[in-house]
Amino acid sequence: MKAKWELGVGLFGLLLLIWSHYTGLFVAPPEAMMGDVGRILYAHVPTAWVGLLTYLVAFIAAVGAIWTGRWAWDAMVEASVEVGLLLNVLLLVQGSLWAKPTWGVYWTWDPRLTTCAIMVVAFGVVLTLRRQIDDPMRRLTLSSVATIIAFVNVPIVYLSVKWWRTLHQPYSSPDTVDGSMVTPLRVAAFGMLFLATGFVVRRWRQVNTRLAIEVQAPDLPEEPKPLHVEESK
Amino acid sequence: MSATLRVLQKDLLIEWRSRSRTVALLSFAYTILLIFAFAVGPDSAALKLHAGAYLWLGLLLSSTLLLDRTMRIEFEAGAMEKLMLVPVPATGIFYGKAVANLIQLCIVGAFSVPLVFIVCDATMVEPFGWLAATVFLGAAGLAAPGTMYSAMIARLSGKQLLLPLMLFPLVVPVIVAAVKATSLTMLGDPMNQIGSWLTLLACFNLVYWSLCGVLFGRVVEA
Amino acid sequence: MTGMIEGGWEFVWSVYGITWAGLALYAWHLYRHEKAS
Repeated sequence: MKAKWELGVGLFGLLLLIWSHYTGLFVAPPEAMMGDVGRILYAHVPTAWVGLLTYLVAFIAAVGAIWTGRWAWDAMVEASVEVGLLLNVLLLVQGSLWAKPTWGVYWTWDPRLTTCAIMVVAFGVVLTLRRQIDDPMRRLTLSSVATIIAFVNVPIVYLSVKWWRTLHQPYSSPDTVDGSMVTPLRVAAFGMLFLATGFVVRRWRQVNTRLAIEVQAPDLPEEPKPLHVEESK
Repeated sequence: MSATLRVLQKDLLIEWRSRSRTVALLSFAYTILLIFAFAVGPDSAALKLHAGAYLWLGLLLSSTLLLDRTMRIEFEAGAMEKLMLVPVPATGIFYGKAVANLIQLCIVGAFSVPLVFIVCDATMVEPFGWLAATVFLGAAGLAAPGTMYSAMIARLSGKQLLLPLMLFPLVVPVIVAAVKATSLTMLGDPMNQIGSWLTLLACFNLVYWSLCGVLFGRVVEA
Repeated sequence: MTGMIEGGWEFVWSVYGITWAGLALYAWHLYRHEKAS
């Protein structure tokens, strides 16, 4: 791999993640109410934060793409939606596996998990759309519009599901984190952030290259050699 | 503004002239309702409890047919390109089409509501005005994003599956709010919550009727 | 809530396992595309 700055950042993030996960799994104390199951925190919460952040980056890139029409922004939309999708699918799986021992079921209509499930489809559709459209400019416009709307919709969906839920029963979620757990959690968050940054930037470079090739005008044919006519004597 | 009205007039005229297709759409809505009743079973208590859900599921599914159709006619025979050549602002086109879709969805809604009452043996506890407002606001919530997405997809040949995929995650708040409000009108609203759900619907409509109007121009230019 | 949940390590391992697998898979996906370009 070419050595660029994101490789270093990504590896550093990886190290932070390894350290924080190790600490969280084997060194930190078990959580007060959830016991050892609470250790899922160190994987789940950073994924949630960085996942949402990645979608924010996608939104900004989509606005930039529509505003300027430049391919670099379009490439960033694709890269960040892709990584965002990875993180949020992981989030759903993690959340589901956390729900089973704590709430007894793999799925509850927890507003955050429900919103995440809906958003996975919304952003997944952006990627599907990109694959279906051949014309680069149209692809830029349509996928950016879809991304903008998907992102704007996140708080609306969250609020409506939250309202919908509270009418049935209140849900509990770990909001306060004990002191000895804060450090590995913070480190894990930064670790995930740096790793995701490495992923997004590297993917951005790849997509950028691909787009550049795609929108290049075809080369002009070589100039024909001047005709050499022999004079006949 | 006049451009909007012209487009609206044109669309409604087209729909009026192809009334048979509207009949087909209404039949579709009716069939869905029947299928739900059969799937749920003859448990009249369950049907009564979830009548609101069935109404909106029927409307949502019918909307995909409607939206796809109303936009496809624009792209057949290059009609959209010709429309863009006329100095009509794209926003005007959007609002004209979106309002036309809204009116048609309200018609489907108006048709479906009595059906739901009959099939699910529903009652009307709260005043009818609330139900009418819910159907209108819910239909509006489907019409605006639906119009824009159908424009985005219409030119991708054979990609009709994308419309429900794109639309459904977006309109989850509409469905949640509309079903809850409808159920409350049918089953009673002791804590006066209908107002809050309608407010959510109104806010959603405010956001998306403006946002889609702004973005529509870019979408059809592409 | 009566007391602390006991055990549940299989869930913890599954979560971490799947998380790391997902990240590794994406890194491999990036690597594959790097080779191609």
